[in-house]
Amino acid sequence: MYSSLIITNNIHSWVLSLMPAAVTGITEMMMIAMIYLTVFAVLGLFLVLMERKVAAWFQLRIGPNRVGFFGMFQTIADALKLLSKELTGTDKADKFLYNLAPYFLIISSLMALAVFPFSENLQAFDINIGIFFLIAISSIGVIGVLLGGWSSNNKFALIGAMRSGVQTISYELSVGLSLLTMILLTGSLQLSEIIEVQKSGWLIVQGHIPAVIAFMIYMISGTAETNRAPFDMVEAESELGAGFHTEYSGMKFAYFFLAEFINMFIIAAIGTTVFFGGWLSPFGITESIPWLGVFWFLLKAFALVFLMMWFRWTFPRLRVDQLLTLEWKYLLPINLFNIVLMAIIVWLNFTIQF
Amino acid sequence: MGSEALIVFFLAGVILVAGANFISNLISHKSDNPQKREPYESGMPTIGPTWVQFKVGFYLFAILFLIFDVEIAFLVPWAVVYQEVGTVALVEIIIFLFILGLGLAYAWKKGALKWK
Amino acid sequence: MEKYIFYVLALIMIVSAIASVSSRRMLRSVVYLLFVLIGIAGIYFMADYNFLAAIQLTVYAGGIIVLIIFSVLLVHHIDMELEVAKKSKRIITALACLIGLGVFMTTIYSHPFIETTTAVTTTTADIGFALLSTEAGGFILPFEVISILLLAVMIGAIIIAKGEDVTEEPPKETPLVKQEKPVEKKKELLETEVTV
Repeated sequence: MYSSLIITNNIHSWVLSLMPAAVTGITEMMMIAMIYLTVFAVLGLFLVLMERKVAAWFQLRIGPNRVGFFGMFQTIADALKLLSKELTGTDKADKFLYNLAPYFLIISSLMALAVFPFSENLQAFDINIGIFFLIAISSIGVIGVLLGGWSSNNKFALIGAMRSGVQTISYELSVGLSLLTMILLTGSLQLSEIIEVQKSGWLIVQGHIPAVIAFMIYMISGTAETNRAPFDMVEAESELGAGFHTEYSGMKFAYFFLAEFINMFIIAAIGTTVFFGGWLSPFGITESIPWLGVFWFLLKAFALVFLMMWFRWTFPRLRVDQLLTLEWKYLLPINLFNIVLMAIIVWLNFTIQF
Repeated sequence: MGSEALIVFFLAGVILVAGANFISNLISHKSDNPQKREPYESGMPTIGPTWVQFKVGFYLFAILFLIFDVEIAFLVPWAVVYQEVGTVALVEIIIFLFILGLGLAYAWKKGALKWK
Repeated sequence: MEKYIFYVLALIMIVSAIASVSSRRMLRSVVYLLFVLIGIAGIYFMADYNFLAAIQLTVYAGGIIVLIIFSVLLVHHIDMELEVAKKSKRIITALACLIGLGVFMTTIYSHPFIETTTAVTTTTADIGFALLSTEAGGFILPFEVISILLLAVMIGAIIIAKGEDVTEEPPKETPLVKQEKPVEKKKELLETEVTV
């Protein structure tokens, strides 16, 4: 992150002037962590509002518009309400695991948010195994759900948690494999290098047919992995109480809720980075203004988030066994075949490059 | 930022959750009574101890996931060096995925992919 | 700086390991095991071996622990506590563990470890080249054998999990014989009503 942007250099020298060199490292890291926490919170707020507004527009009504201009402060009001609710628990619930479960979800979401390149050189943690790190971190989130369901000492929560766990791990495979299909084109796992390769055309264009198939599989699996509709049998209100977070109230429920929306954003962000060129502008229009990349990145990411919300109000809910059939009997074989197809196309050099 | 970023973001997550829990504890209204502490079962006392009937399907899906997860772990380095290695990599992966496809077909045939 | 991080990680791992084997509730010991595995991944991250750390998190923490948690969730319920062994057994086991630890530590401390001066970063590309190289020291044959191993695991797991049901046909539709009874009951009711 010690980059060529003038702002960060200025901040760096200002902090250096205030305290000795050994402490500046730690202070800067804390500042970056604070910035990301704020981004996390603001994103969550904005996404919840967006969901309610989009849901309302699809249902031919206006969403929340009382609190603040255009309803912008609605989610803050909701968050304050949730903060002030009583934290109940059931007796005989395993207190340690009951409190531990939200940590897994929030930490995995936050760490995944840290590796995205929002613009050139505007990346907190450019790890050299970018995509694989994201796959690894999403495997940790499943454990939070399972622990939450178990420790509530509630049959419905337990069944809901196990079904959600099976759904998430099955679709994680498809997400990983479809991302791997695109890595064949880039030759590197590092997210900044993936975007470098896309300067000669977005990956979904470079890889034409298998890339489009991979993108479709990725969107379906990504929606299913985060338990969004039409795959949200596990938290369907009419079916099982409220699924695995039945016994969580107030702020603890808010963690699960927030983590779901941030996960949705992460899936959209990975999709824009790998398929649609991340912060690059289409046809390189604004290539000379690098910080405009943030705008392009957010635009593309929110377009994919809108797509995921659109899914919710278009398709009926799938039953759990239909869901698992979809993954294991359809998506996984298509995915494996697609990898071979992409490998053959790369071998024959049939990719489109500008 | 290097790998210290991992620790920083990990601690940031812990502070977020712990901090929000703490604030919520401070400003929430407390009125605990035994009724509130019962587990929720559509408004009636729970029937039987809290456990799930053993469905082997969950376990089978978890094992299949693990096997394919290990397969992904092997596909990742292959995908990274594919363009430089050339034909050998293509032949390799066709054999590898074919054998794993056989495994998936076996699981399908034996009905391991049924029931939730 | 790295030294302190290592000490903290090692402390967390040792405490979690001891808690894992001495806890009486099954799922808690699984969670402590998870902490140990995440600690190991942390040490791999420190050793600049990111790929192996990610594999540790994906396969171990995200796969094996999830598998164990599923088995525990299916079999236990929240009240079950594991039994505690008798006192004599506990003392003998503790002595055996201490002797083992002693042997282990004398072996390690008596070996002259040489510090490397150059730090080697293993990238994913290095591993990929090694996996696909056909020269001496290449791992291309083990790469293929692994797929056969995974096939064997899949077949074995399905046979063991499904037991004798592997060759079972789908259950036939139960014939609808019960329809006669309600009709008969209705007739009886009508008769009783008439007599009354």
